[in-house]
Order: sequence, then C-alpha cells, then structure tokens
Amino acid sequence: MLISGVLILYFMTCIGFIGYLFTRNRQIVIAARILFILSVTAHLVFTIALSVKIHHLPVSSPPQAVNMMVLLASVVFTFLIWKKLTTVLAAFFLPVATFSLGFIAPSVGHNPGLFVESSKYWYPLHTLSVITGEAFFIVAFITSVVYLIHERVIKRGAIHNIASSLPPLAVLDRILYTCLSSGFIAITIGMMLGALWASSLDLEYAHIAPKILSGILTWFVFAFSVHQRFAIGWRGRRTAVITVIGFLVMIIGFISINLAYPHAHGIGLIP
Amino acid sequence: MNLIGCISINHKRASVELREKICIEPEHMAEILGKDCEAYTLNTCNRAEIYFRGVNPNAVYGLISGLSGIPEESIREVSDHLVGSEAVRHLFKVASGLDSLVIGESQILGQVKDTYRACLAAGITGTLLNKALHRAFRAAKRIRTETDIGKYPVSIASEAADLACHIFGDISASTVLIIGAGDMAGIAAKRLMSRGAKKMVIINRTHSAACDLARELNGVPMPFESLKTELASCDIVISSTGAPTPIITRDTIEAVMKQRKNKAIFIIDIAVPRDVESGVGKCYNCYLYDIDSLKSIVDRHFSKRKEQTSKALAIIETELDSFEKWIEALNANTTINDLFSLLESYIQEQIDVLPLDEKESALLEKTLRTSLRRFVHRPVSFLKDHPGIDHIEHTRRLFQLDEDYQDRHKR
Repeated sequence: MLISGVLILYFMTCIGFIGYLFTRNRQIVIAARILFILSVTAHLVFTIALSVKIHHLPVSSPPQAVNMMVLLASVVFTFLIWKKLTTVLAAFFLPVATFSLGFIAPSVGHNPGLFVESSKYWYPLHTLSVITGEAFFIVAFITSVVYLIHERVIKRGAIHNIASSLPPLAVLDRILYTCLSSGFIAITIGMMLGALWASSLDLEYAHIAPKILSGILTWFVFAFSVHQRFAIGWRGRRTAVITVIGFLVMIIGFISINLAYPHAHGIGLIP
Repeated sequence: MNLIGCISINHKRASVELREKICIEPEHMAEILGKDCEAYTLNTCNRAEIYFRGVNPNAVYGLISGLSGIPEESIREVSDHLVGSEAVRHLFKVASGLDSLVIGESQILGQVKDTYRACLAAGITGTLLNKALHRAFRAAKRIRTETDIGKYPVSIASEAADLACHIFGDISASTVLIIGAGDMAGIAAKRLMSRGAKKMVIINRTHSAACDLARELNGVPMPFESLKTELASCDIVISSTGAPTPIITRDTIEAVMKQRKNKAIFIIDIAVPRDVESGVGKCYNCYLYDIDSLKSIVDRHFSKRKEQTSKALAIIETELDSFEKWIEALNANTTINDLFSLLESYIQEQIDVLPLDEKESALLEKTLRTSLRRFVHRPVSFLKDHPGIDHIEHTRRLFQLDEDYQDRHKR
C-alpha cells in the first residue's frame, strides 16, 4: 500500500521536473522540489517500515537492493535539485527511478528469511557500502547521459532550446568526478567488508563466485574511470562514455547473476 | 483633443545622411508647445521621432526643418506622420524593439527611458504621453518576459559568450586569450569581459598593438612566441589575425591538450582566412567555432526572432486596447458617472452587510446616498467647471476608478 503511494509521488515529481525542463517555469520547479522531498521522505518511511517488518536491513533480495539503490540515489539528488544549475538533472533521473520502483514494487516486501547470528553485523556494513557505491554510479550514469546530450548540442550550436536548461559541461564533469570517486571509495570498502564476511562464513567458493565476479566487474569499472582521470587526465566525454558502458555492464551483471543464481543474495541467511 | 500624433524619421525610409542631421532635443520642442500641450522626442542612430499632443504637425515639421537645415518637403517625403492609435502602436513597437533594425534588440528600451527622463526634466510631457510611455515600457517588459524574442543572440560576440557559458558555466574563473588586435576580437573580448571573464591575455605579431588593446581591455600583452604556453593555460581563445595560413594547427592543439591534461578549451576563430585548422575541432575536449558556423547560428536566431514577432504584436494590441479604454474614460462626464457608480456600490455593500428589514434598509440607503453625494459634490462641481485632462486623471487616480490602477496597488 505504502509503496503505491511512494510510486505515485515519484511519478508526479517526474512529471513536474519534465514540465520544468520544457517550460522553465518557476512555480513548476518549486512544486516539483516540494514533491521530490515528499517522495524521498515517503520512500524512507516505506524502507524503515519494511526493515521493521522483516527484522533486518531490506537488502537481502534483488528487489530490495534496487529499492535501496533508488532511495540512496534520490538522497544524492535531493542535494542537486536545490542548485539552479543542476535542478534539471532530476528530470532525467526520475523516469529511471519511477520505472525501477514500479518494476520491483510487487516483490519488494517478500522476506527471504532471517540471518544467522554471525552475519548480523557484517551484512548491513557490507551491503550498505556496496549499494551506496552503486547509487553513486546511478547518479554518475544520469550525469553522463546529460553530458553527452549537452555536448552534442553545443557542438551543433543549438543551445537556445531545451538545451538552455541543461547544466554547463564543467559542472556536469565535476558531479561525474565526485560521484565516481565517492562511489569508488564506497564500493572498495564494501568489497573489503564482503571478503572479511565471506571468510567468517563456512561457504563453498562456488556458492559465492558469481557475487565475487559481479563485485570485481563493478569495482574495475570504477577503478578504470578514476585511474584514467587521475593518471591520464580523461575528462568530460570519455569519462561519460566509460561511465555509461560501465553502468550497463553493472546492470547486465546484476540481472544475469540474479537470474542464473537466484540464491546469490541469500548469503548468511538461516538455511 | 486627446489624439497623440507622431512624426517619425527612421531607418526604413530616411537615409543615414539625412538622419544624422536631425536631432530634436526636448528644449527645442518646449519652444513651440502651447498651454495644455505635450511632447516627447526620441533621437537614436536609427531614428528621430517626435510624439506630441495639441501641437500642429506643420509647426513640428517647421521646427525640424529649421533645426536641420533640410527643406520641409524633403523631410515630409521620408517621414511618417501617424495619428491616434497608430502613433501609440508605433511607440509601443519602438520601445519593444520591434521596429528596430535588429528585431527584438533591447538597447532601444534604455534609450526610450533615457530620453523620457530628459523630457520629464524639461517639463514637456503631460498626462497623456506619460501614460502612453509607461504603457510602452510595460509592453516592452511583457514582450521580453512572455516571448522568446530576446532569447536568441543575434551578434557573433553574444553567441560566443553564450556558448562559453554552456561549456564553463561561470566564466568568471576563465582566462581569455585574444590572438590578433583587430576590432572583431576586441568586441568579442569585451562581451566576455562584461560576463565576468577573469583574465585577458593579448597576443599579436606587432607587440605595440597588443599593448594598446591590453590597455583598453585591462588585459596582459604577451609576445607572439609565447602562443603555445598561453594556449596551455587559457580556457577561451578568440583568434582574429590577418595571417594567410592557419596559426593554430591540429598538432599544436594535440600537444597543448596533453599539457592541459585534456581540460576543455573553447576556440572562436573569427578570422578570414581562418587562423585555426578545421581538424582542431575534432580534438578531444576542444570546441571550435569559425566565423561561418557562428554566422549560421546567428542567422537561425534571426529567423527565430521573426517567428516570435506575431506573439509580441498580440501583446502590443492588448496593451493598446487597455490604453484606448483609459483614454475613453478620460472624460469629465464618464469620470463623474464612474464616481457615482462607485458610491452606489459602497451603499449596496453597507446595506448587504447589516441585518435590516426593508424599511430600515430604505432609510439607510437614502441617508448614505445623501451623505456621500454631499461629500463628493465639491470635486464633481470642480470637474464640471474645469474638465482638463490633468484634473480628470487626478480624480480617477484619487478614487481609483480604473481597474488596472487598483490592480497595480494590490500587487
């Protein structure tokens, strides 16, 4: 019931920000910002309620992981929408967020079970770190898409239509860099915690291999982007392209591993 | 009596040789204004216009001829004499830039306001022209905010500054490198400076010319040999030299981009023949615009401004309609009737509020009507005896008889 309300709020906010993108109307953006805050608050309330209901952090199934990713990415956007230059980024994020929430809504409440005693402390630390990194990756992906659109428009010289609302390339590049760096740190911490957690469990290597592969793949994409930025000076378009490719790799990896190994998210649960 | 007239000598019909001889200052008009007359004069590089009320147009033509030394017949041939709503419509169009050489340009509004201040100081404007000019300012403001007419830059310098803002955002932290000391580069540099560019570096083969432009722009002159070093540290490049072959090649930029660690660079090449090889635009994080690409953007903007003209004209018609309604109300009998209608509405309001029976209501109505009519008897008698525009306007403003006047106060 609550997730339906959250979905409706996200959908209304989405319409608001798309309306602002086309009209640049001040009243519309004020309404959209208020709706965004309400949406994120309602989403947070829903996640807390779910957590209370299932007695642990709701990230133990793929729909719950997606739910948490969207929530954390929305929190990052809560900061971005208050700046005039970056407000319109929400118009690109919200359709993705609304669609993802709509897709997972029917199964997000399903409880896969309780955790064994030894996993109770590792599990929230590991998953939250990894999902925070992935949430930053979502923001980086949205920023990259907007960067590539805006750059194309600038090269054509058609900057006075809808493109006039888009953030300047330098601003987008800064957001992209911040998200990749923050995401890289979060995902590195998450992987280290995951390794420690796995060593504390009596697991067969084959059981956790898909998760390790998925984690390493995502980590490599982050590491490559950050390295190219620092060492070679990749900026703008190249970083945006690699982020888009990396995000698609991460999504394909996430979906295929969860389809091929449905229990990959059930590590540490009471059998 | 209430008709505004206009004599307009503008770029559409009069040659620049003729226009430059005509300049009518408010003091000149003051000499021919009689009692209860008013005037407003506007002189810009593209037009000389006189708006007046209560003045014989022949006297105005005579004045122009006398001051400019041009025969009256020649002036009549190239000028437009507009009367009534045509004159007011023309004023609205002029103030909004719709009658300008570059449609939608905004400088004209500032010029109209400046000359209005001069006319006010000279005491030659009156109730009618004051109102018409204020309406003109309002129409111009509405057109600027409600249409996209001013959204599309139509000068190469403005377009370049806009593109720079789309790449760097705030250009106040950007360094601008100007190669060549020509006029075009100077204009583009000034536009970027007005947007807050941090630092200007000027390079020219003739160092003394670079120093001259640097003084004008408050920039730093550098020798031509330091071109590569400066390219590595600047953000925006404006090149406008007379060199017969490109001075910035793809190889140069590729080497520079390595030094810059691929930090974005925006190059505007306004030289003919070009100073920058076209392949430079393909370099990573390099944005190159030559004169042709900028001109094609500006041409597209011209046509977009023209598309917005019909929207702007519709705004002018609504403002003109509102102004004409105000003029119609500028009559002693209409004002007195409006005043009595206002009193009747007050009486009705009071009766509606109080819980009275029919007899008491009738008594109250009679008492209120007698008192209020006695109260306004003196202003009404005065208005009947002195039905001048000023007195009518003061009465209307004092009692807030015009809807838009009340609206303005509510805001």
